[in-house]
Amino acid sequence: MSLLEEDFGSESEDDNFNPAPLGNSDSDAAGDSEDETNVTTKANGVQQRRRSSGGEIDGEADNDTKENGLDVDGAGEEDEDEEEDDDGDDEDDEDAISGRPRKRARRDPRHQFLDVEAEVDEEDEGDEEDEENETAGFIAETHPDDVEDLPEGAATDDRRHRELDRQRERAQQMDAEKQAQLLREKYGRRTATTADPVTVPKRLLLPSVDDPSIWGVKCKPGKEREIVFAVTKRMEERNGTKNPLPIISALERGKTMAGYVYIEARKQADILTALDGVMNVYPRTQMILIPIKEMPELLRVVKSEQLHPGGYVRIKRGKYAGDLAQIDDVESNGLEASLRIVPRLDYGQNEDDANAPTVAGGLKGDAKRKRQGGAGASNPTVRPPPRLFSDVEAKKKHSRFLSSSSTFDKKHWTYMGDDYVNGFLIKDFKIQHLITENVNPTLEEVTRFSAGAEDGTENLDLTALAATLKKSTANESYLPGDTVEVYEGEQQGVWGKAISVRGDIVTISVTNGELRGQNIEVPVKGLRKRFREGDHVKVIGGSRYQDEVGMVVSIKADQVTLLSDLSMKEITVFSKDLREASDTGVAGGLGRYDIHDLVQLDPATVGCVTKVDRESLRILDQNGSTRSVMPSQISNKIERRRNAVATDRNGSEIRTDDTVREIGGEQKQGVIIHIYRSFLFLHNREQTENSGISVVRATNVATVAAKGGRVAQGASSGPDLNKMNPALMRNGTNGNAAMPPPKSFGRDRALGQTVTIRKGPYKGLLGIVKDTTDLEARVELHTKGKTISVPKDTLGFKDPLTGQNIDYTRFAGSRGRGDGGRGGLSNMGGATPGRVPEWSSGGRTPLPMAGGRTPAWQAGGPSNRAPAWSASASTTRTPMWRQEASSTNGSRTPAYASANDGSRTVNPYADGSRTVNPYGSSSTTTISNRTPAWNPTATSSSFTQDPFASTSTSNTTNPTTTATGSRTPAYESSYRTPAPSYPTPNATTTASRSGAYDAPTPGKDFTNAPTPGKDFTNAPTPAAHPSNNGSSSNFNIANTPAAMGMGSAPTPKFSGDAPTPYAGVPETPGFGEGEADAEGEEETSPRYETPSP
Amino acid sequence: MYFLYELERVITLHPSFFGPRVKEYLTNRLLEDVEGTCTGQYYIICVMDAYDISEGRVVPGSAVAEYTVHYRAVVWRPFKGETVDAIVSSVNRMGVFAEVGPLPVFVSSHLIPPDIKWDPNATPPQYTDNGEQVIEKGTHLRIKLMGTRSDVGSMFAIGSIKEDFLGFENFFFQVVIRRTDNVLGLCDLSNCVASHLRGMAV
Repeated sequence: MSLLEEDFGSESEDDNFNPAPLGNSDSDAAGDSEDETNVTTKANGVQQRRRSSGGEIDGEADNDTKENGLDVDGAGEEDEDEEEDDDGDDEDDEDAISGRPRKRARRDPRHQFLDVEAEVDEEDEGDEEDEENETAGFIAETHPDDVEDLPEGAATDDRRHRELDRQRERAQQMDAEKQAQLLREKYGRRTATTADPVTVPKRLLLPSVDDPSIWGVKCKPGKEREIVFAVTKRMEERNGTKNPLPIISALERGKTMAGYVYIEARKQADILTALDGVMNVYPRTQMILIPIKEMPELLRVVKSEQLHPGGYVRIKRGKYAGDLAQIDDVESNGLEASLRIVPRLDYGQNEDDANAPTVAGGLKGDAKRKRQGGAGASNPTVRPPPRLFSDVEAKKKHSRFLSSSSTFDKKHWTYMGDDYVNGFLIKDFKIQHLITENVNPTLEEVTRFSAGAEDGTENLDLTALAATLKKSTANESYLPGDTVEVYEGEQQGVWGKAISVRGDIVTISVTNGELRGQNIEVPVKGLRKRFREGDHVKVIGGSRYQDEVGMVVSIKADQVTLLSDLSMKEITVFSKDLREASDTGVAGGLGRYDIHDLVQLDPATVGCVTKVDRESLRILDQNGSTRSVMPSQISNKIERRRNAVATDRNGSEIRTDDTVREIGGEQKQGVIIHIYRSFLFLHNREQTENSGISVVRATNVATVAAKGGRVAQGASSGPDLNKMNPALMRNGTNGNAAMPPPKSFGRDRALGQTVTIRKGPYKGLLGIVKDTTDLEARVELHTKGKTISVPKDTLGFKDPLTGQNIDYTRFAGSRGRGDGGRGGLSNMGGATPGRVPEWSSGGRTPLPMAGGRTPAWQAGGPSNRAPAWSASASTTRTPMWRQEASSTNGSRTPAYASANDGSRTVNPYADGSRTVNPYGSSSTTTISNRTPAWNPTATSSSFTQDPFASTSTSNTTNPTTTATGSRTPAYESSYRTPAPSYPTPNATTTASRSGAYDAPTPGKDFTNAPTPGKDFTNAPTPAAHPSNNGSSSNFNIANTPAAMGMGSAPTPKFSGDAPTPYAGVPETPGFGEGEADAEGEEETSPRYETPSP
Repeated sequence: MYFLYELERVITLHPSFFGPRVKEYLTNRLLEDVEGTCTGQYYIICVMDAYDISEGRVVPGSAVAEYTVHYRAVVWRPFKGETVDAIVSSVNRMGVFAEVGPLPVFVSSHLIPPDIKWDPNATPPQYTDNGEQVIEKGTHLRIKLMGTRSDVGSMFAIGSIKEDFLGFENFFFQVVIRRTDNVLGLCDLSNCVASHLRGMAV
């Protein structure tokens, strides 16, 4: 019996928890029906319980003493009921006798009243109610009974009768009007209050000073709701007992006011009693009395976050703090959610064996401890990276904590007390421990969840993702100018251009429909961007297709399909991730790097792009390793430098587009696409790996083919030093200033010669010249029996006389001279041109000059030459000289140089010095041969002035040198002949004195060397004229001008000078000056003057 | 749409061309350079005449001379929303590539009427409604341009045949300028058109 009752009792109590706040009558009724259905046996007990639990009115509203007494009894009974059986039974019986009729009587007639009464707060009624209850109670309760029962009357005693009578009397005494008023007051007000919620303005419902106050009580943050539940429960329990909880309500504002619960009560002390012994709440601390004004605010309802399975949240704390989790399920009470998490497990890798849980029973505690440790920030162990659960890993160390319950489609594991399904950890979390707003799942995280699909395909739930993303307003990006459409709310379908964006509110200028022209403000969440087919759009953040540009081909709700410009593929994205792009095609972010580009990875590393994927690049770096990088990891792209130069192992220069081969190693071959420091990136079409790109060191390669055949010059000789010589470069701009070597005509002397090769790959080899062109010779090698082409310059000949090794020019020259010496007449014509260089080159000059030559010349010359010279050279040469003189502008030396083909010029001068010697043969001492030369110069300068003047003086000079006698006539004659020609070179100058001064210029030439003289000799210019004179010829010719100068010019001066110079005294100054002045026409004048004194 | 544009071009000339026939040379050069090219906005179909050739100006530092030539040219400029006739150049699952003269146009499968379906099993693969409409390589289509994109020296467009009077055409009354391998190839054909037009102009 008691057991039964207990069961019932608990049941009914439980049932009544919820209905507690309901209206009394309702609860009564509910209690009634429940009781009726549930309880069959013990009607009394049940009734009691019903009264105690359901009937708040009994406890609070019934202030009737009698009933109170009854109530107390009832309560006592109930208590006893639950604890002792027998007493309860007895009392029940008693109660049944006395209470039941009362109850029934009370309930039935008053039911209607209760109905009405239920809608009124009991507290409101206050004192008057007591009276009313008194009266009403009597009237209502006893009257019908009395009416019915009294006549039969026996059952009740006298006292009641008398009481009744007194009552009636009182009622009769009471003025009818008063009574009516009383009734009206009571019921009339009631009707008014029922109408209240509709008609009474809200402000009248606001709390006033008369209403109970609300206190805020501190509590442990996060426990608010628990506390409220605990308090409520306690309230339920104590309700109807003799010490009910004196508070009126309890509430919490979890998120906005964490750490507080709010209790509504009349007195602060009530709160203390109500919260006494409740966990996590601290009523002893300062309580906050909520001002009346703020009470409504406190109750303002904020729609709570709705979580939907499939959405994404983040975990606030614990081992998975910050991790993204997918909602698997949400508990119906909205407090907890079951999440799918990518587990972070180390499978016991980091734990010492001592700490390892040994007993399965201790597992739970252990795991808990561990978890707590993980939750603490001080946990020193690194948290393992998120990876899907692997049973293989788990079995290694923790096989005993692992149990499997695989169903046919899911792999379900239980490991260390947690459940793992398909590799994900499934775990319940309290929602307050989750971040549900601004989750912003990144693509990477989301794909981790989608990767769980068995077939490996990505089955991203875009709508769930969209919902999550939509919640986060942060990346909702509307810009003024965007065309947007309202798809939610009253203004659905309206679209226009965004004018301004402020927080979550977008102001739109409507462009169509009835609202056209108006500006409306719309919250962001009801907006989406509007595109039309054919629009050129760019994907902005939030999508894996970021930075793609394309044209819209179709639109479904907020999903837009576009045709990418780059890949010509169709992609589907949310319209919010799109932005209008200009109609011009752009090289988007993906196009920034192209295959074969050279990119900088970090300051020390560069790499060549070998593959371009959508999101990553494959790169071969300078060390030969390949890696995959995101475009963001690339610091910059290195533009291809066309003029980058490196040198290969042979020292020849290599540039981009050259073909090289690796020596040693893998013998890689390829076209250079990039040169970076000493690294070459080669491309070879035949190679498959790294899409044909390889990297080699420049020092390991040899040139196979250089672009544009550069190799010929570069291969053997190394870098071209000529290019580094600025002096040469200056002239070199307009072609090589050096005159081409004079052409020789007729049979090349080199033909048939045995030569050595002095340069190049065949250096040192011996061969026979088989054929020649202007520059090259075909040489048949002795060794290989092979005929090769080599430049003639690089051939070494054997001098027929000395047996020395000489180069081609000398060789050719030596022949000319040799001929001349022996019997130049024979091929004078041919030889003449040949000789010019020969002279210039003449290291040999000195000897012949000094010693044998003069005579030789004279010997050979006079007889044969004269005609020859006159014939061939005179005409041609003279102008040549002039030309040269004029062209070289004063400095003859170069002129000579040019005349003499570059390098040789120098020698001749050197030699020339010696050549001069003959002049001062007597005084060989002259430091430089020029000294004598100078004199002639000086003289020459003077001579222009009046050439005719002194023949004799000229003679004087000549004698010193060589053959005075013979020349004298020559001079005269010659001088006359050249005279006409003379002016010509100086053309401009002759006219004036200054011109005369200029004249020295030729003199300078003399200065520099008698070589000129020689040249003259050879270069028949002067010679030509003298040629008339026959024997005077060559040597004098050189002097001829000089002589002329001397003669012509300041005969007086000259005469003075002339002897001296040769003596050597005056020369010195002259010489010095000459050196200083070297070249330059002004200098001539001082020079001119020097001699003059 | 075709337009007669007045355009301008700067031509640089090597000194070896200086001489009495420089104008002639400039004109030829202009035709060579310009006819059949795409500016990114429009295609220059033919040059009518060069009505103003400026004085040559030698560029300092080099010997070449610059001439500014003003000329009139017939250009074709495709517009968004314009309806054009095209010849299909290739067909795939994604849609149809067609060519309007020099302009490549892509008609996405989204923009093909739903009753015309992709049939990969046909040879060659085609879009068909299993009736008389068969879209394969070489088919003549009437396309509405939905959007154009201009790159440097080239253009691209997407089109739609998902409207009335668009799509498959049995008869083609218009002369379609067939696109050759490169844009410049247009020149060959346009030359004859051009000369014809010039003739008319004269």
